[in-house]
Amino acid sequence: MGLFREARVLTAGRDWRGRSRTPRSAAGHTPPDEPREFPTGWARTPAARVARRGLQRGLLTPLTWSQTRPEVVGLEGLAGVTGPVVLVANHASHLDTPLILGSLPEHIAKRTAVGAAADYFFDARWRAAATALVFNAFPVERYRSRRLRSLAPQLLARGWSLLLFPEATRSEDGWMSPLRMGAAQLCVTQRVAAVPVVLRGTYAAMPRGRNWPMRGRPRVVVRYGAPLKPEQGESARLFNVRLSQTVARLWAEEDMGWYASLRAQAGGDLALPSGPKAAEWRRMWESTRPVSRPGPAPAWRDGA
Amino acid sequence: MSRPGFVLEVDERTPALLMHEGEGFRLEKLPLGSRVVYPPESLPGLRDLDAHIREALLHPLGCEPLPELLHAGMRLTIVFDDLSIPLPQMKTPDIRQRIIEQVLEMAAAAGVDDVELIAGNALHRRMTPAELKRTVGERVFRSFFPHHLRNHDAEDRANLTEIGTTKHGEVVEINKRAATSDLIVYVNVTLTAMSGGPKSVSVGLASYRSLKHHHNVHTLRHSRSFNDPPNSAMHHSYNRMAGVLDEHVKIFQIETSVNNDTFPTQLGFLNKREWEWTLKDQAAYLAVKRANDLTPIKQRRQIWHRTAAPYGITSVTAGAPGPVHEVTMGHVLRQQLTEVNGPSDIGIWGLPYICPYNVNSIMNPILMMSLGLGYFFNLYRGQPLVRPGGVAIYYHPVRNEFHPVHHPSYIDFYEEVLAETTDPVAIETKYEEQFATDPWYIHLYRNSYAYHGVHPLYMWYWGAHALEHLGQVIVVGGDRRTSERMGFRAASTLGDALEMAKEKVGGSPTITYQHTPPLSMADVR
Repeated sequence: MGLFREARVLTAGRDWRGRSRTPRSAAGHTPPDEPREFPTGWARTPAARVARRGLQRGLLTPLTWSQTRPEVVGLEGLAGVTGPVVLVANHASHLDTPLILGSLPEHIAKRTAVGAAADYFFDARWRAAATALVFNAFPVERYRSRRLRSLAPQLLARGWSLLLFPEATRSEDGWMSPLRMGAAQLCVTQRVAAVPVVLRGTYAAMPRGRNWPMRGRPRVVVRYGAPLKPEQGESARLFNVRLSQTVARLWAEEDMGWYASLRAQAGGDLALPSGPKAAEWRRMWESTRPVSRPGPAPAWRDGA
Repeated sequence: MSRPGFVLEVDERTPALLMHEGEGFRLEKLPLGSRVVYPPESLPGLRDLDAHIREALLHPLGCEPLPELLHAGMRLTIVFDDLSIPLPQMKTPDIRQRIIEQVLEMAAAAGVDDVELIAGNALHRRMTPAELKRTVGERVFRSFFPHHLRNHDAEDRANLTEIGTTKHGEVVEINKRAATSDLIVYVNVTLTAMSGGPKSVSVGLASYRSLKHHHNVHTLRHSRSFNDPPNSAMHHSYNRMAGVLDEHVKIFQIETSVNNDTFPTQLGFLNKREWEWTLKDQAAYLAVKRANDLTPIKQRRQIWHRTAAPYGITSVTAGAPGPVHEVTMGHVLRQQLTEVNGPSDIGIWGLPYICPYNVNSIMNPILMMSLGLGYFFNLYRGQPLVRPGGVAIYYHPVRNEFHPVHHPSYIDFYEEVLAETTDPVAIETKYEEQFATDPWYIHLYRNSYAYHGVHPLYMWYWGAHALEHLGQVIVVGGDRRTSERMGFRAASTLGDALEMAKEKVGGSPTITYQHTPPLSMADVR
């Protein structure tokens, strides 16, 4: 049999990468994926940083701002931030990262690396390379299915701020799920501050399943909280509680105003917005309600 | 963690599957719905092998530690499996070398002067000095060859001893030196479930007088299979003989088992499941296949026989033969056994370039029959992979080629006996004694490197159970005339073979392909 004929028999049923689909009866006998660490160090070289800022400033941010109406609140709290911090944000949409990177002060944005799901963004080389270049992303194991060594402590040690989404995945219905311990643990062990960030309206603007924002430049709000430093002797668990409360307050601030949200937090009335305990459609209905407010937000609504 | 074996059902996602065919291989697309039996993945080998060997010798099963059995003034005989196992030959240092060296260290420490090393080759050809050296290592070879390191000679009447007779009247006759030793240390490699245990001494050191009691058509037809000792008449006979031996000689058995790392890294794709082949595996397949096909057969054969297996050792167990073999069998089955749900109409096997009797030699047509209908057909437990009256399809070129030094009696058997009949019983009745006692064959066995005169007949008996069980044997890619001489039919392609099989099994037969090597054993429920 000639080489070409042999190659034809060999490649029949395989894709262009030479991969064969697993026969159905062999599906239960496939080996677990070997953890493959995609190198991202190159994405933090000076050349890649210049290219990234060019892409972000010249393409990503203008595009995001052209398709949505972002309102950025609380940046003044970041003016004094000099060292690395961990930005902890809720996650409901692919818009979240460009909105945060586009709204952060330049001195933080250019030194921020983004934790991205290893199983989603780093499963194919082309996607991993693009994500690493454009967002300065590094792989994060979210389901502990594999055992990649986390890059986060190293990056913090080298002066990089991190943007993490401790809910582990984009929201299914626009509401929040509990914050996992990883980000709080990192802050406590590395002695760095966490900056809570809340995004409102991104789910309504571009929910799961969409790859382009809704028409009509929907309003989105990016709200930064003041940096939270772990107290001396504070455990990761307690710090995570404090972080969750702050995120809940920032979320509520959009609806009730700053002072009312502070009072609600002090009264212990706030929790992470997990949505109404109602039928699925009603939860979805509420979370996709457009975020719109005609006038400037008052510091507090009423004194009652 | 190694994955267990499993049975694949061919669907539209299944790529073409690998088939061995002599000194070559091919990819074959099997009909949808065919079953493919894959062995468990290769088990991890023992890490600190020398420590494991030492541990086994110092803490044996069912007897005293080896150092306590050794003393000055004793006669010690170390017997080791010959080159028929493992297949292919393992990378050096051979496990037998590593064990023998440790045994000799202990013997030297105990002050044992009278030590002999004997290859347990029974009626197989003698091992050449180079082959002996490769097996036992340079240091042992230099210290003992030629006077105290030698092959067993089953025709040296002066050096054979009749130990006794079993209650079934089976004569137990073995090597005199071993029989008169204070201790026999047997060093074994158990490649398949048929090897080792009671077979080691009673077969490895036996004479034709003794071997004929179990190497005959009746016994082999009642060994179902001979890889399943509890259901093997052949092993029942071994057990009876081992019982007689136990009363007369002290045997310290050291058994080892190997994993399924049959092919070296550069041929790694041969060890892998096809849908898991990487681009590198596929490139290696194309490159090796093309180069192999273009290489003249003689050189091709030499290359394959020089390719040593990087086997890992999965167990080293020492002590009394019975308990030791039980442990070894567990390890062998753990590596090879795959559960299969019932037999099928057609069984398919790809026969590789090697069988126990053509190491550094030629796989002649008789050996192809012995490998296909003997060894591979009998890689089952429970019931055969093919239903009674079903069809066996083998892949092999079946060249009419013989090694004139190693297989002289095979040539005569092929030319004279098979031209007349292929019936094992008729062959046994009419020709066995003639071939077994022919002085020229005996001379070549003792002084040259020839297999014993009766050996080709034994090979034919080896397939007697399959010949009785099967309705038809078809060889894909086989030489037509040679196949015909052996009572088989030759087909150019699998499609043709399935077409031929229709006569026996109808138009929509069930098909099972036993994907081996690496070795797999089907546990057919």
